[in-house]
Amino acid sequence: MADIALAGADTFAASQRLVRARRMRAVTQVALGIGFPLLLIAIWEVLARFGFIDQRFFPAPSKVASGMVSLLGDPDQRGRLLIDIGVTYERLAIGYVLGSVIGVIAGITMGLSATVRFCLGPLVSATFPTPKLAIFPLLIVIFGLGDPSKIALVSLGVFYMTCINTLSGVLYSNPLHRDVATAFKIPAWIRWTRIVVPSALPSIITGLKLGLGQALILVVSAEFVSADTGLGHFIWDSWQVLDIPRMFVGLVMVALTGGGAVLLGEALERRLTPWVSH
Amino acid sequence: MAGPIAATRERNPAVSTTNAQPPRADAGPKADVALDLRDLRRVFLPRNNVPVEALAGVSLSVRQGEVVAILGPSGCGKSSLLRILAGLDRDYSGAIDWHVTHAGDEADRRLRSATVFQGDSTLPWLTVEDNVRIGLSGLHVDAAEAERRIAHYLGLVGLGRFRKSYPHELSGGMRQRAAIARALATEPLVLLMDEPLAALDAQTRLVMQQELLRIWGETRSTAVYITHDIGEALMLADRVVVMTGRPGRIKLTQDVPFGGKREVAQVRADPRFGQLESALWRSVAEEVGQSLTQTRGGE
Repeated sequence: MADIALAGADTFAASQRLVRARRMRAVTQVALGIGFPLLLIAIWEVLARFGFIDQRFFPAPSKVASGMVSLLGDPDQRGRLLIDIGVTYERLAIGYVLGSVIGVIAGITMGLSATVRFCLGPLVSATFPTPKLAIFPLLIVIFGLGDPSKIALVSLGVFYMTCINTLSGVLYSNPLHRDVATAFKIPAWIRWTRIVVPSALPSIITGLKLGLGQALILVVSAEFVSADTGLGHFIWDSWQVLDIPRMFVGLVMVALTGGGAVLLGEALERRLTPWVSH
Repeated sequence: MAGPIAATRERNPAVSTTNAQPPRADAGPKADVALDLRDLRRVFLPRNNVPVEALAGVSLSVRQGEVVAILGPSGCGKSSLLRILAGLDRDYSGAIDWHVTHAGDEADRRLRSATVFQGDSTLPWLTVEDNVRIGLSGLHVDAAEAERRIAHYLGLVGLGRFRKSYPHELSGGMRQRAAIARALATEPLVLLMDEPLAALDAQTRLVMQQELLRIWGETRSTAVYITHDIGEALMLADRVVVMTGRPGRIKLTQDVPFGGKREVAQVRADPRFGQLESALWRSVAEEVGQSLTQTRGGE
């Protein structure tokens, strides 16, 4: 009896030790992830203060921060920033939804029908490597200088990512799953909706995640080139008047958007494909 | 409406080597035959365009309620044979006669064949019960009947408490049992098993062999069981068929004398088990040796 109780206590102590070690590792990981960038900022601060780098272009982080605070504190400037963010998000959202819906449907259709695949496959692979921004002037010719050309550019980038990944998911996901559908004589509709598409889902989600990154790059680039609204314009405009802290505000907003999108994508992935070890 | 006994024949017209053979003389198929394979041939065309003969005329009858194990060296075409029977490969020549004992309505509620695959074939996005249910979606069974079968067959394979679990929450052996329940739930005329225990560890495999014997005892399934494990073939089958190396043909057929109700430990202790095992081993080893020298010669 005593032995068993002792063994129990030992097990408890050992498990406590393991829990502590695991928690310690998690804390260290987060601390390094936050601490290292802070270190870089500190180095930047020192270099700027002591005049190793040109303060006109790389003002010390403290100056950037105070500039940002005063900008965000000014209702007028803050209002304009919020409008720019809103405009960019709208272009991003419409372009992303359009591009990904068309991309996923095209990918599944190409997977479903060899004829469609033979028709569209070479076209898609041949046009995919073209930098999308290179087509932007053409899109302006077609859709005009306003929002539609920018939305079209975003959709185009998202379309390729989702279409190609969806197609490869449909074609190359576990062939055993399709064998099950055939061997059990599962009707075509159920086969597609409950076997082939779920089987391709990890790949489809990869496409959707890559598409998010593409969309953000393209919307900001398009706004650099041709816009008088949006975050891209905000950044470009700040650079042209050499308002560096204002430029950094724009950059931080873009970075936050990108980071948020990645987190959203990963949460979606865990929710939709819990069987894949992420 | 057809009579109580009907037969469906699949004959692939691609190559008409069997045309010389006259149709069966006896009017009705023998009552106790479940499945007749006649002169099945399969040729593959690899990328180098040199045809490879995988099956060179396999003929075999499987009786109702009989478990036939097909044994052979790797690459002998046993899996090709199973894929043809499962309907996964249609580029064969020869004839397959399925003797459907009940025509009409009954046939819509049972699959002609259901397959248990070698790898993990559960669908990871479906719960265990939905994995079984989706196997019934090609059949005319109503929701109540589907529910009855799911409960019955998951209970039979010991997964009654795991209906709502997802495959990734289960062990490999449990996933394979879910796949077996999915096949059994279609109440197939012939159960096809392609090395279903090969991916499991040795202990789990022994337990599963005993489980299969018990399940077959209860369902009285007709089964074609592909394996490369001689002991497993003897343990599970009523008849062992040894195939030659490529191109695959039937080399010999061995009846297994251990009777209907078996215990794994008992069968292993039976002196005839050892004798049969070594006899079959010699027969298979010959083929393995030949296919090895063939491979070496081809290099």
